[in-house]
Amino acid sequence: MNINKFLSKAKEANLEVAEIKISKSTSSSISIFRGQIESNEFSSTSSLVARGIYNGKLGAVISENLDDSSIDSIISDIKTNATLIEKEEEPIIFKGSEKYKKKNMFNKELDKITTKDALPILYEIERKTKEKDPRVTDVEASFSMEESEFTHVNSYGLNLKNHSNYCVIYASVYMKDGDVVKDNMNIVFGNEFKIDIDTFVEKLIEECKQKFNPVSISTNTYKGVIDRDAVSSLIDALISNTSSEQTQRHSSVFEGKEGQKVLSSKLTIDEVPLKNNVFRTYFDSEGVATFNKTIIRKGVLETLLYNLETAKKANKESTGNGQGSSSIGVGYTNLTVKKGKLSKEQLFEKIQNGVYITSIQGLHAGLNPRSGDFSLQAEGFLIKDGKIDNFLTLFTVGGNLFKLFNDIIAVANDSKLMLSSIETPSIAFKNIKISA
Amino acid sequence: MISKKLAVELINHASSTGADFVELFFEDTKATSYSFENAKLDSISTNYIKGIGVRLLKENQSIYGYTNDLSKNSLFKLIDNLKSSFTSGRCIEEIKELKQQKYKKVNKKVIPLASVEPSTIIEYVRSGVNEIINYDPRIVRVMGGFLIKTSDVTIMNSEGKLFKKENEYGRVFLSSFASENGKIETRFDGPGSQNGWKFFTDEINIIELAKENARKCILMLGAKECPSGHFPVIIGNGWGGVIFHEACGHQLEATSVAKGLSVFTGMKGEAIASPIVSAYDDGTMSNEWGSNDIDDEGNPTQNNCLIKDGILVGYLVDNFNGRRMGEKGNGACRRQSYKFNPTSRMSNTYIAPGKSTVDEIIKNTKLGLYAVSFNGGSVNPAVGDFNFGCSEAYIIKDGKILEPVRGATLVGNAKDILKHIDMVGNDLGLGQGNCGSISGNVPVNVGQPTIRVDDITVGGRGGSIDEYK
Repeated sequence: MNINKFLSKAKEANLEVAEIKISKSTSSSISIFRGQIESNEFSSTSSLVARGIYNGKLGAVISENLDDSSIDSIISDIKTNATLIEKEEEPIIFKGSEKYKKKNMFNKELDKITTKDALPILYEIERKTKEKDPRVTDVEASFSMEESEFTHVNSYGLNLKNHSNYCVIYASVYMKDGDVVKDNMNIVFGNEFKIDIDTFVEKLIEECKQKFNPVSISTNTYKGVIDRDAVSSLIDALISNTSSEQTQRHSSVFEGKEGQKVLSSKLTIDEVPLKNNVFRTYFDSEGVATFNKTIIRKGVLETLLYNLETAKKANKESTGNGQGSSSIGVGYTNLTVKKGKLSKEQLFEKIQNGVYITSIQGLHAGLNPRSGDFSLQAEGFLIKDGKIDNFLTLFTVGGNLFKLFNDIIAVANDSKLMLSSIETPSIAFKNIKISA
Repeated sequence: MISKKLAVELINHASSTGADFVELFFEDTKATSYSFENAKLDSISTNYIKGIGVRLLKENQSIYGYTNDLSKNSLFKLIDNLKSSFTSGRCIEEIKELKQQKYKKVNKKVIPLASVEPSTIIEYVRSGVNEIINYDPRIVRVMGGFLIKTSDVTIMNSEGKLFKKENEYGRVFLSSFASENGKIETRFDGPGSQNGWKFFTDEINIIELAKENARKCILMLGAKECPSGHFPVIIGNGWGGVIFHEACGHQLEATSVAKGLSVFTGMKGEAIASPIVSAYDDGTMSNEWGSNDIDDEGNPTQNNCLIKDGILVGYLVDNFNGRRMGEKGNGACRRQSYKFNPTSRMSNTYIAPGKSTVDEIIKNTKLGLYAVSFNGGSVNPAVGDFNFGCSEAYIIKDGKILEPVRGATLVGNAKDILKHIDMVGNDLGLGQGNCGSISGNVPVNVGQPTIRVDDITVGGRGGSIDEYK
């Protein structure tokens, strides 16, 4: 779409301010099963989000039709929607920040890689996994790559661009011992095409093998370590309460708590959108320059996260956390939980006896981020005499997020960046309720 | 839409290197959503989705691509990329034309939501939102919404067949937030249908829906924590069907069955459930949330019997996975949009009604949980472990409802749970949801009458069930 044509037609149609964001993405992926290519996918798509202020109200449209011929109907839809809106807050389309820390995370070398280049790696993962244990029945392995270009332009003259790419290698293994089937998965991602296959396979298979011959555990409250993969989901729900949108709408227990101690002093959480990884972004969905900040410092809620609207309401500046498309909410990019000094194994020693939770499931149904209450299907091991012991039969882990993160024993040093854009180490907690 | 002539060219070009089946899936969708924040209309979003998905199959290989650049050059470029996966040379004949196929209409003509004035829809949602706001001072926030999604799909394939289908989905949302003593509780309701405006005016009552939403939110705010352990659980009708959806439905999809990655692979003819359990997936229920005239590869939808008197009698099969299984697709192939490679999915899935009344089921339960509704759940099809979280539950003691409890999660294994259903009620109901899996989010009904499971693991934070003895 010709952006200038859109902006000029928007002006002719009496939109006070207009804005357009265009995303273009291409992706490719390949997966193998039983020594053969099972699927191969390619895509190329574009979409736009157009917003405009008409008679003091904001209207918005999302469209995958980027022909110039659709400009008139997009503007008409913006005006229709704006006419119906009743929201009292004055709408904001942003003029721009003074300075941006521009940097694109596009790797030209990765761009040269094709799905066929990844095939030998996938076959090797399959072969090596099967060689490791005769109980392996099947291995699924896949490679995917995505490139995206983003442009954000408005009638104030704001013109921002972002260009990035990344790839993901994924595998899952299925093992059968008698009638019992167990599975496990492993994943690596980044904007470089590299993988240590032996380490990848070792983790994939070893974690699966440990799941056989489980023992049961009594329903009780235990000390425990929640592995970084599992704890990252809880961190996500926890931090959603630092959204000023939630506090201003009386839906967060952190309402009125800025500057106060709300969590364990062993917990520090930063938001680092400018960190050089695949999630790096130097402007938010409203075009505000992002910056690194501490959200929780030693348990104290140092700041809530603000977009332009919530910041105005609180008489503050946006923290560059506007997120969304047609409707802008509040979100984060790149959370980092400050790591501690002890290794995960040292945490087990510190706890001596308890549980080690490696996986939690059912978050959308079993965790209420507003109340903080959760009761979730979990997988994990007993910790006995300071060491990992047997795998446990199916159990649930329950508690309240705010209480859990107020009772931290220690934070480990095994930080890892997840696909959820959270980098966290494993954490040891005082009270984990287990039902079995 | 691209022309039929171009479609024929594209299909023939795609099959030139050895694909044994080629399919074009063209979609033109408009979705409008209205969002309320308390009594004010906060935002309206109009979303246009338009593009094409191209699928090439060769034996057990599936090659998929999609784009929303519908220019001839772009489409040929995409197909060049896709067909380069095969090098064996043509194995099916070129087609000369595409013939539109006829099929029985499942979804009858209704008053389309697109014809209803926006102001009528806005006032409809506002009436529900206001009812919640005024229900109790502990209600601190209400969100409301309405979604209209109209979708036109054309499917064309290398058998020279052309299918057209239209769907219009409507859904109303109400969410209440209650707060007291630093504790926050939420409650969501979102009934939906393909029965046009009539569903919202005649089949549901927005005021009653809102009152119940607020009442249950306040009730759960003051509820004790659910005890944990192994005990009988009565699972309510309608949305309670999420137990069957998670514990069994996903494992009966050819997606996992065909590759031997389901706990129910190869078990047709075997008892997998209690003899009082029969279950169906019926895509032909007129104008229901999960219904379709044809599935997303052109097969007419069916009423598929999955379990008959406890015996596994059928799977949900799409044409591609059916190749590995030696079965034909039975109308169960679905996808969220042109951006997803389609596969076998559920539609309107339910446990058939039995003979017991709800009162009988409660009276016959000495100590247990009555789980009335759920937030949702998830499952690992290969292992069979599933979970689902309760949004409304009560303790049953000595055959009577004792008190509400919050925070209950039910977990179990698919192979065990269905055998533990020992009572089936006569009050079949359906509940609307969106099911997420590898071909995206698709609208589904879950359903069942009230049932009782005589032993299931209940997770909760309220100590042991023994405290109620």
